[in-house]
Amino acid sequence: MKKGLAFGFGLMALILLAIAVLTPWSTLTNGHIGIIMLCLIVVAMMLGFPSAFTLMGMGVLFSWFAYRSVDPAIAVQQTLDLAVQRSYGVMTSDVLIAVPLFLFMGYLVERAKLIKKLFHAIHIATARIPGSLAVASLVTCAIFATATGIVGAVVTLMGLLALPAMLRAGYDTKLSAGVIAAGGTLGILIPPSILLIVYGATAGVSVVQLYAGAFFPGLLLAGLYVVYVILIAWFKPHWAPPLSAEDRRVPLPPHMTQLSARYGGLALPALLRALLGQRDATVSRAAVGRDLLVISLPLLAFALIMGLTWNTLTKPTEVFDVSGLVEMGVSAEAYSSGGGEETAPGISEPPAEEAVAPGVEAPPALEEPPTLDEPPILEEPTTLEALPALAEPEAAAPAGGREPAPAAFWKTVGAGVAVLGVGYLLLTFPRLEVFRVLLTSFFPLAVMITGVLGSIVFGLATPTEAAAMGALGGFILAAFYMAQDTPREQRRRWWPGWVVLWGIFLASVVWFILHRAQVIAAPLPPALGQASMLAFLAWGLLASWQVKLFPMLRESVFLTAKTSAMVCWLFVGASIYSAAFSLLGGQHVVEAWVLSLNMTPLEFLLLTQLIIFILGWPLEWTEIIVIFMPIFIPLLAHFNIDPLFFGLLVALNLQMSFLSPPMAPSAFYLKGVAPPSVSLGQIFLGSMPFLVLVIVAMAMLYIWPQIGLWLPGVLYK
Amino acid sequence: MQKFLMAVDRLTTFAGRFFAWSIVALTLLVSWEVFSRYFLNHPHPWALDAQIMLYGILFMMAGAYTLAHQGHVRGDVLYGALRPRTQAAIDLVLFVFFYLPGVLALTWAGWTYANESLAIRENTFSPDPLPLYPFKFVIPAAGFLLLLQGIVEILRCVVCLRLGEWPARMKDVEEIDLEELRAMVKDDGEDAGSRP
Repeated sequence: MKKGLAFGFGLMALILLAIAVLTPWSTLTNGHIGIIMLCLIVVAMMLGFPSAFTLMGMGVLFSWFAYRSVDPAIAVQQTLDLAVQRSYGVMTSDVLIAVPLFLFMGYLVERAKLIKKLFHAIHIATARIPGSLAVASLVTCAIFATATGIVGAVVTLMGLLALPAMLRAGYDTKLSAGVIAAGGTLGILIPPSILLIVYGATAGVSVVQLYAGAFFPGLLLAGLYVVYVILIAWFKPHWAPPLSAEDRRVPLPPHMTQLSARYGGLALPALLRALLGQRDATVSRAAVGRDLLVISLPLLAFALIMGLTWNTLTKPTEVFDVSGLVEMGVSAEAYSSGGGEETAPGISEPPAEEAVAPGVEAPPALEEPPTLDEPPILEEPTTLEALPALAEPEAAAPAGGREPAPAAFWKTVGAGVAVLGVGYLLLTFPRLEVFRVLLTSFFPLAVMITGVLGSIVFGLATPTEAAAMGALGGFILAAFYMAQDTPREQRRRWWPGWVVLWGIFLASVVWFILHRAQVIAAPLPPALGQASMLAFLAWGLLASWQVKLFPMLRESVFLTAKTSAMVCWLFVGASIYSAAFSLLGGQHVVEAWVLSLNMTPLEFLLLTQLIIFILGWPLEWTEIIVIFMPIFIPLLAHFNIDPLFFGLLVALNLQMSFLSPPMAPSAFYLKGVAPPSVSLGQIFLGSMPFLVLVIVAMAMLYIWPQIGLWLPGVLYK
Repeated sequence: MQKFLMAVDRLTTFAGRFFAWSIVALTLLVSWEVFSRYFLNHPHPWALDAQIMLYGILFMMAGAYTLAHQGHVRGDVLYGALRPRTQAAIDLVLFVFFYLPGVLALTWAGWTYANESLAIRENTFSPDPLPLYPFKFVIPAAGFLLLLQGIVEILRCVVCLRLGEWPARMKDVEEIDLEELRAMVKDDGEDAGSRP
């Protein structure tokens, strides 16, 4: 640490000396003062004063200086106006508003107590891959970091959870430490990440495009990490020894063990025979039914999507056709009389009446709102057993007034059915158990992330809206996961209330989807909509009270406030500071200087990325982006570099600031919770290969910019 | 002395925490508006303005609270390695030279800015206008809290310079609360594989 101290102060002295020597004191222009200001800020920030206020103070002082050189009489007033207007600008930013919402979502998910389940599930799912524990740690890190975006918390949690597990399994200390340190930082890259919002707000690049752009580079980096770990485990098995057969075995619940002993290892036939065969006291039907439900979920989802797609594709072209009501191959005439009654409460959904029509019956099957006691709710039979037949495309010949579906659709259906069929043929009990465990831990989180990200990228929702929905999703996740920790009898008592409230809520969601899919002609009745919103609110209050979510909610709220204040006040400071910088004309000096160097775009990119990398040592990513991007971004145009592309490189680059010694935050978080036998040096050494992989990913992104630019290009052209 | 320091800490913490709850309001408001607009086809023109206000209030009022609990990002490289006395000396100088001018400017200018808005009873520019001036008063309010907290921090520096160690602070939720994280990883050891 002593050496670091000397080095730091040496660097500061060097900068000050450079200012003293290089500044043409006799012919001092405002531009020069701007440059001095830029150097001073680096020195001041290294002193360790809260950066937001360093920036604000310097900005105010130097803008007064700038105004005074023009008209001393009104300089004070102008400075005050500038400060307040810049602050107000940050307060009304419609980009930054997403920051607290995403933070809130992250804190809620972090506190939902699901990381242990997640790690366990991914671990048993990857048990057969070489280096499975390390791969599972990486994947858990990536998913969890993506959902929460809080690097420190992810690294700490995984340091407590996965590091001991890996060390126990005989993994190399350096590899295990590197995996966690590197995996945890993926959260600032893979969208929806705060970093990209902050970059977007600073650089004036659309956050939506940044999210679309960062998606594949994020996956690329995570993929590189995973491939590296697998290769290491392959070539150096003593670094990542394979699990023993005992550890690899998936622990099966008792009824599954019995069933597989009696009916053989394949899950689907065994479960069906257990359900349809004679009654047996040892195996509970409820358990079998539940497993069958779990099994049929992929089929149901597939059938639902394909059914809705088919409905949209084959929609008859007549404008006044009531075919919205007459689903599923029944001719329009048969139902045209029923059209008027559509909005009447209590009427059952037309599609439900054709439960026998195979192939397209899928949509209603999933919804079965559990609250059939509410009058306006659709009444659908649950036709679970009938379902396997549904996905057969041949049966669903287009009939009465429908357009024929394009061949590509049937090919997709065929491929899907084939994949599902093969899947079901290979489904053994252990695989079913793995699937079930993933379903309760991995999928909810994955669905939430893809929902948030997908709705942003495909333009269904603004980042703000998606973030708010994500925060609600985080709350729901937390409620359900924490409810699982309570005694079973208690949960039984809560169940009816939850089912009713969720039923009311889902009823309007289902109605809306069916309306959009043009199955129901009538739009969602406002009364039902209001009722479902109230039901959701009521559930939220009920759940917070029953599951005792309040302490968790309170903590998340306070942490959100503190972290948003940190980020947004930094913006206030930086915004005043950069105003002063441009008032002084510092930007022109920088521009003139950079252009005088006659660099090629590649050289310029390398230089800027190198500067950012070095700044990552004393500064945090928030400070780097907020202070230095306003200086780099205007230069990009001279070199014909897309700010979006530059942002992706920066986001990758800043991964390294978490990992590169001597001040790697990720390594220090890990050291804080690692067993004493793990030294900081080992963590640093372990992170090195991952640092190299970040550079590889940056090089790949530079060579093939399409990795990042393809998706935004396709979506927003 | 310590009593006064803690009293101000409590005040800014209370203000910060009180307005922190606007994140819940914001989440619900945005979600409600999404539902209303997409599902019921009934958008509200004022909702966006209200969202922005909630966000602005949230982070502005939390500024002093965050300062009181040392939540603002700072360059820790050198600072963390220094002795408390040196830290206090640096902080003291910078609080006086950087912090006070900036925050004073903000409070002072914010006050006139908000009063101008009040004088014309300014509204948001929207078919369903909301009054804008209360929102603008958030700037001087936040500035005032920061000023108060800044004075307390300066006093803390002085105390530290005299005693050689930092005076105690209030406890608050931490992003990384080791005990809690440990509990999260440990306590549900058995049921990880059991049925939901």
